[in-house]
Amino acid sequence: MDNHQFKAGAKAALPIVLGYLPVGMAFGILARKAGLTTFEVGLMSLLVYAGASQFIAIEMISKGISWFPIVIATFFINLRHLLMSSTLSLYFNRHSLRTLGLLSAQLTDESFAVAMSDTSKISNRPGYLFGLQVTSQVAWIAGSVGGAFFGGLINHKGYGLPFALPSLFICLLVIQIKTIHHFWVLILAGVSSLIFKWALPGNWYIILTAFLATGIGMVIEKKLIPSPSMPVLRSSSATEDGGEGEPARRTSSLEGGGGGEK
Amino acid sequence: MAFATFLPRFIPMALLSRLVIPERVKKGLDYIPISILSAIVFPILFFNEEGGAGIQPQYLLSAIPVFIFVWKVKSLWGSVILGMLIYWGLGSIL
Repeated sequence: MDNHQFKAGAKAALPIVLGYLPVGMAFGILARKAGLTTFEVGLMSLLVYAGASQFIAIEMISKGISWFPIVIATFFINLRHLLMSSTLSLYFNRHSLRTLGLLSAQLTDESFAVAMSDTSKISNRPGYLFGLQVTSQVAWIAGSVGGAFFGGLINHKGYGLPFALPSLFICLLVIQIKTIHHFWVLILAGVSSLIFKWALPGNWYIILTAFLATGIGMVIEKKLIPSPSMPVLRSSSATEDGGEGEPARRTSSLEGGGGGEK
Repeated sequence: MAFATFLPRFIPMALLSRLVIPERVKKGLDYIPISILSAIVFPILFFNEEGGAGIQPQYLLSAIPVFIFVWKVKSLWGSVILGMLIYWGLGSIL
């Protein structure tokens, strides 16, 4: 595996690390309160590595719910990874199942969003994605174990910590606005997510919003003349290729996440 | 739990990476990240922690400068820190 790629991926993971450490700590603290040992917390963050479902699982554990409903809940909460995995799969059409197994096991909302923010970096470069995801997961495990170990010493609601991960998500969201169509899909998705979340329990709203907004995005693409990239975003020129090989996309690049242009 | 989480992550990558995907579908899939991210961000700003509906002023007011900052300056690190500082500051005022 390319060492250079790995380091580039690890560097791109730093903002995720900034979010995962405090959230991981919050998780660790709550998990201890629910009765897990520090070792169990570390093991969960290693094997499961899925924030939302981990939080919900420990809540269910603390209420004494048996393992089967917890597993079912986990499955449905993490179902959105199905869509993310599908998107990422486009960029790895030449790799072994073993590589894909390893890469896909570490998929999270945040690493997905960073990976998609500059797809030229991940196209058939498992090293980069691996560096990105390993660094993120180590931060998550470290945060969880740290939180479990140190318990109530730090005020995890202070220092702006609760806004670290939301900030990150907002950045990654803005990066995805490549055309005016994307902007309207953003608004549409945002509003529908509020409606779905209000109407439906749990995390169904995420996957439903994704389906709805993606479907409408596809309709917009078909019916309207494609608009040029919005001028305020730097973008490399896009060429469409017929099918196989690296799908070329308009990408916008960031200073913070590595400024590679294609 | 680990297995239930792993399956939806692995299966699409295993299957779909072997197929050729038509161009129109690829374009459609391009909207997936923005939809998911939007679906994650908006509820943070408009729902409280117990899951009930309600505008979150501290989150919402912190989100707007971050949005503008990323739009203009495009620095991932900087925007995260900016957001945290604003949120922290607003915590003292609100």
